[in-house]
Amino acid sequence: MERKAVPSNATMLHGLPDVGLVGLIATSHVISQLKMDEVAYVDSELLPPVVVLHEGLPYAPLRIFGDGGLVATISEAAIPAKAVPPIMRKLVEWGQAKSVKLVVSMGGMPVQDRQDIAEPKVYGAASNLALLKTLSDRGIEILKGGFMVGPYALIMRYCAERNVPAIALLAQSFYNYPDPEAAAAAIRELGKITGISIDVSKLVEGGEEIRLRARDVMRRTEQELNRMKKTQEYDLPLYV
Amino acid sequence: MPETRRRKFSLFDLVSDYIENLESLSEEMGRAFAERPSWDTRTCCIEPLCSVFIVADEVVVTADLPNTKPDTIKVEPVNRDLLEIKAEMKRKISFDEFGITHRQGEFQFFRCQARIPVPVDTKRIKTQFKRGILEVHLPRKKSYRIRVE
Repeated sequence: MERKAVPSNATMLHGLPDVGLVGLIATSHVISQLKMDEVAYVDSELLPPVVVLHEGLPYAPLRIFGDGGLVATISEAAIPAKAVPPIMRKLVEWGQAKSVKLVVSMGGMPVQDRQDIAEPKVYGAASNLALLKTLSDRGIEILKGGFMVGPYALIMRYCAERNVPAIALLAQSFYNYPDPEAAAAAIRELGKITGISIDVSKLVEGGEEIRLRARDVMRRTEQELNRMKKTQEYDLPLYV
Repeated sequence: MPETRRRKFSLFDLVSDYIENLESLSEEMGRAFAERPSWDTRTCCIEPLCSVFIVADEVVVTADLPNTKPDTIKVEPVNRDLLEIKAEMKRKISFDEFGITHRQGEFQFFRCQARIPVPVDTKRIKTQFKRGILEVHLPRKKSYRIRVE
């Protein structure tokens, strides 16, 4: 449902609840720093009967913000595992209808002993060879093999099917603890690809406060990740 | 040998039962988390995010304790299969700071209990606290060995 004119030919960011809430924290920070306005929201019977109150007014949890050449999707509530495929497909179709020039999903890549990593590394995935080269040229290591599971996996697949240029920037993160430092790392790499420069000092310095606030969303997101069998990302693929 | 008796001694069945029990317990815990608030205004406690991992030689319990005074962290076995984690925050947090104005209360402590699904030696617990993450290592008890011929 569109509330305002949606920018066309924009870069579309996705910040959906996933491991470490990396994408959600990163994209919410971008929205806040650029003071982006809500331009649309997702209304679906597949989503739980939830509204989010901001200053007393009700909003859909899954909303799209816009500003100039940028459109950003966030969900303030966990998306039920069963709703992920149809909603991701709709988001990609909607983005294509708005002629987005690039889809960027920021997210996390769970690693053991994350607490021992001072600066999380960011890996990249892309929907086509030209974008893989762009990522490599900007110094981002490519995910060459393995599995991706969850909303970003489907966004990548649906974008590839429809020839919508898409990349994913996945920062090393905790699996089920909110990770603002990983979100900051993903935003820094976003700048290398899109030229969007965002100050991440609030994420780094105020990280502990964010972790405290994000607890309940993380808890419910983890339940959905378990239903999606997210841990399949740890599996070793069969290449013969 | 009757089928029922034979199955008791099948290692694969034992492992399979064990995993099923774990999954069921995990689902149960997940439902319990979802059905009650993660805070308690009477005790000024917030329940931190907490995980339990079982590896070959130990059980590792982790808890996300942001904004915590490290010297206030307490890890105590409640009984053979329950571990309690408590810690004090650097400052009190009110509902107001979460944007909630229709509830009253402040929180100053973290408190959670983690169920330990296999026997562990609670006398040899090791802990470390890094980047706001508490890690508790509990060595597993070796109850029996299967001889491989």
